[in-house]
Amino acid sequence: MIAFWVLSLLMIASAVFVVTARQPVHSVVGLLVNFIALAAMYLTLQAEFLAVMQIVVYSGAILILFVFVIALLSSGTKPFAVGPDRAPRILIPAVVTAVLTLAGITVTALHTPVTVIRTTATNGTTGDANAFGSVANFGAALFTTYLLPFEITAFILMVAVIGVVLIAGDEGPAGFSRRKPKRNIQREPILK
Amino acid sequence: MLLYLVWLLPLIGAVILWAFGPQLKSWAGPIGSALVATSFAATVFLWGNATSPHGLHVPLVSWLAGWDFGLQLDRLSLIWTLIITGVGFLIHAYSIGYMDGDRAFARFFAYMNFFVFAMLTLVLSDNVVGLLVGWGLVGLASYFLIGFWFYKPTAVSAARKAFVMNVVGDVAIMFSIFLIVSKIGVTRYDLIFGQLSHAFTSHELFLIALGLFIGCAAKSAQIPLHSWLPDAMEGPTPVSALIHAATMVTAGVYLIARFAPLWSESPDAQELTGVIGALTAIAGAILGCVQWDIKRILAYSTMSQIGYMIMGVGVGAYDAGVFHFLTHAFFKAQLFLGAGIVIHALANEQDVRRMGGLRKTLPFAFVAMLTGVLAISGIPPFSGFFSKDAVVYGALETGHPWLYAIGVITAGITAYYMFRLLFVTFFGAYRGEVDPSDLGIRHPELAGTAAIGASSGHHPEEEPHHHAPSWLMSGPVAILIVPTIFIGFLDLGANSYWKQFFAGFFPRANEYPPIALGASGPLISETLSTAIVFAVVVIGFAVAFVRYYAGPALRDAVARLRTETIRMPGVLANAYYFDAAYEALLVRPAYVLGRWFYRVVDPHVIDAGVREVPISAQWLGHLFRSFQTGLVRAYALTIAFGVVCFVAYYAFAFTGGAR
Amino acid sequence: MSVAPENYVALSAVLFFIGVVGVIARRNPLIMLMSIELLFNASNLALVTYARAWVDNVGHIFAFLVITVAAAEAAIALAIVVVTFRSRHFVDVDEVSALKG
Repeated sequence: MIAFWVLSLLMIASAVFVVTARQPVHSVVGLLVNFIALAAMYLTLQAEFLAVMQIVVYSGAILILFVFVIALLSSGTKPFAVGPDRAPRILIPAVVTAVLTLAGITVTALHTPVTVIRTTATNGTTGDANAFGSVANFGAALFTTYLLPFEITAFILMVAVIGVVLIAGDEGPAGFSRRKPKRNIQREPILK
Repeated sequence: MLLYLVWLLPLIGAVILWAFGPQLKSWAGPIGSALVATSFAATVFLWGNATSPHGLHVPLVSWLAGWDFGLQLDRLSLIWTLIITGVGFLIHAYSIGYMDGDRAFARFFAYMNFFVFAMLTLVLSDNVVGLLVGWGLVGLASYFLIGFWFYKPTAVSAARKAFVMNVVGDVAIMFSIFLIVSKIGVTRYDLIFGQLSHAFTSHELFLIALGLFIGCAAKSAQIPLHSWLPDAMEGPTPVSALIHAATMVTAGVYLIARFAPLWSESPDAQELTGVIGALTAIAGAILGCVQWDIKRILAYSTMSQIGYMIMGVGVGAYDAGVFHFLTHAFFKAQLFLGAGIVIHALANEQDVRRMGGLRKTLPFAFVAMLTGVLAISGIPPFSGFFSKDAVVYGALETGHPWLYAIGVITAGITAYYMFRLLFVTFFGAYRGEVDPSDLGIRHPELAGTAAIGASSGHHPEEEPHHHAPSWLMSGPVAILIVPTIFIGFLDLGANSYWKQFFAGFFPRANEYPPIALGASGPLISETLSTAIVFAVVVIGFAVAFVRYYAGPALRDAVARLRTETIRMPGVLANAYYFDAAYEALLVRPAYVLGRWFYRVVDPHVIDAGVREVPISAQWLGHLFRSFQTGLVRAYALTIAFGVVCFVAYYAFAFTGGAR
Repeated sequence: MSVAPENYVALSAVLFFIGVVGVIARRNPLIMLMSIELLFNASNLALVTYARAWVDNVGHIFAFLVITVAAAEAAIALAIVVVTFRSRHFVDVDEVSALKG
């Protein structure tokens, strides 16, 4: 009970920090805190395997990726240069839209009937082998009932790897690049 | 079966001549004439069938219930068919000579054959819709033929005027048909007449008759729809002879005679018809006295004589009116063909002031015109005498003394202007070399002199050649002399052949007690009436004789003609201002309206609408273009907004709208 | 379960809200991507909540797949960001406005 409230507070604060930080590196740190709090939240929901997965994959891999890209894009010690703001007044409609979404989701959630919640007694305590949410239980479901999505996910990952290499890969041997040279075509504006 | 042949042969001729005219060249004339002659022969062959008690009835096509189309050859349509094909054949033969050398020779015969077919459709159909079809087709043929020389602007406008005035009549007849069909739903004559007395109120009967009569007035050139007929003389003379004298203009008479049961049921219709007929007769006769174009004189005389016929069938003297049609067809065709010989010989001169003395140079034409004039004036024993007497006496018998008086006076006027024509044209010295202004020729609308530009495909500046016409032209005229003189004898006596021919065919004329009947019959006996008419006719002849023949008339012809021209009253010169009235009341407003549409509606309403379509498409495009800012954030906002909409929908859907 | 699932879902909604604002209102593409990760996680939380409530493995499996796909997506998105902003001065999403019509 207490855990929930503390963790939720932490999550919200870190989320706000992510969105409002000046420096991207600060945002990354905030995101890290968010993920760890989320993993703890999973534990309170008896999703053990998922909690570990969250830390390993999300905080461990994705955030590192973000850090690398930040490093790649910042030119040395100079901060990120940011251009002129072309949509200065977009904040207010954004907030309004988001509030509406929030309200909608909340109301829907609160009014949706939820079936009987089973207690931990029928599920076994956390840590038991074959309890709901444990590795064994999860793995059994993953490799039997939901085998096809699993395989497709593997496929998606392969596609992602190939895509990344293609998009951001460097030049091939002897300076060969599959990119066509940029043609300097003067384009007339269509409508004056 | 033979009836099909009668009806369709002229159509086949028209199609062949239309399609292969240029190839057939001068064969077109004989082909067209031969087809019409065959129709005539076939009709004669069918005489026996037609005069049987129920006539010859050939159903053709059954369209809707009660709307069957068929052909019907009974006594009435038999008379008309014989005239159409018989006189038609004679005029076709005449035209081979008259139109010789015209560059549209074949087209002429195609049109003439088409006309014969259309007129036969009119008289042979057994239902009123077929009649209307024939009515319209005849108007079309008239348009073709009046405007035959289409490079003459006067001919074109005359053709247009004739057609437009006829359309008024067509519409009126259509309304009558609507009335009939809306009440009883059938269009065949026998079915209509069977139900006349119990299916319609007398008011409706009058309205139907009125609509039909307006159609007659348009087609038969009765007042007030008469002014197309004098202008129709722009067409070639054979055209004037055939359709504007003998047949088409008598379609109105046919219609009234055919609808005799209807007219007899409606005394109001009879009054109206009789009055208009009489008025037209006398008005036309008066105008005939002041014309200088030989064809216009004959045109007004046609209008006047048809007024007689309409009056006759209008008041209920059906067999008298039809008999006058018969005699008139012969002598009017005779007169026109004779006039055609004169015109042809004088290289298209039509003004009688420039003629004169043609008795010596064109003796055959003189004889022809003389017989025609004697017949039309009602001199016994020529044909017109019998028929005119029958008509006016019929008016008296059915109780219309005023119409009788008008008819008698008109007979006198007719004699006057016809003999005037004869004297001025054929007696005295030839005035063709006299300077036109010496004769007072300054008014083209009356003189209609053909010297103003080429009026036919003939060589324009031909010298007048006063030679005898070819046998093709004089043959038909010679043939026509016989009936012109003698056909009147069909109605001789109280039990004449004619009366027996139509015995029991028409409804009895005196259904309603006439006014002029005394206790023992009409006011005047028939013999006394004949004598009165003869006296008036002699007076008319005498006046013409004094003015145009006796004493100094022939010697001082030039001076007298000039004086008469100059002193013409405006009312008569402009034909009672009917045309001026039409111009002011109908033509000018239509022109102004059309011009308003051209100046205001077209550019500001229609063009604006058309212009605005692409402009608004452009505006819409601009509007959508303003959404494409290129900013990713804006696009993201839009997507988020879409999510809101989805969520809102599900919120409503799944929580039962409890929001 | 001591805490009712509605609370978890409300928390998920709030996180989603913050993420949406972040995506729209920030111009740095990296921070936009991180906000997107926030969105993913918010929905994951909701999934796991209902999985617990109805004791059904589906929620867990789905959340696992989401994590995996999010990883793939983050990789590709970052590659695109790198390629796009390699040779530009400004790392600003507003500059990528070639679709302006």
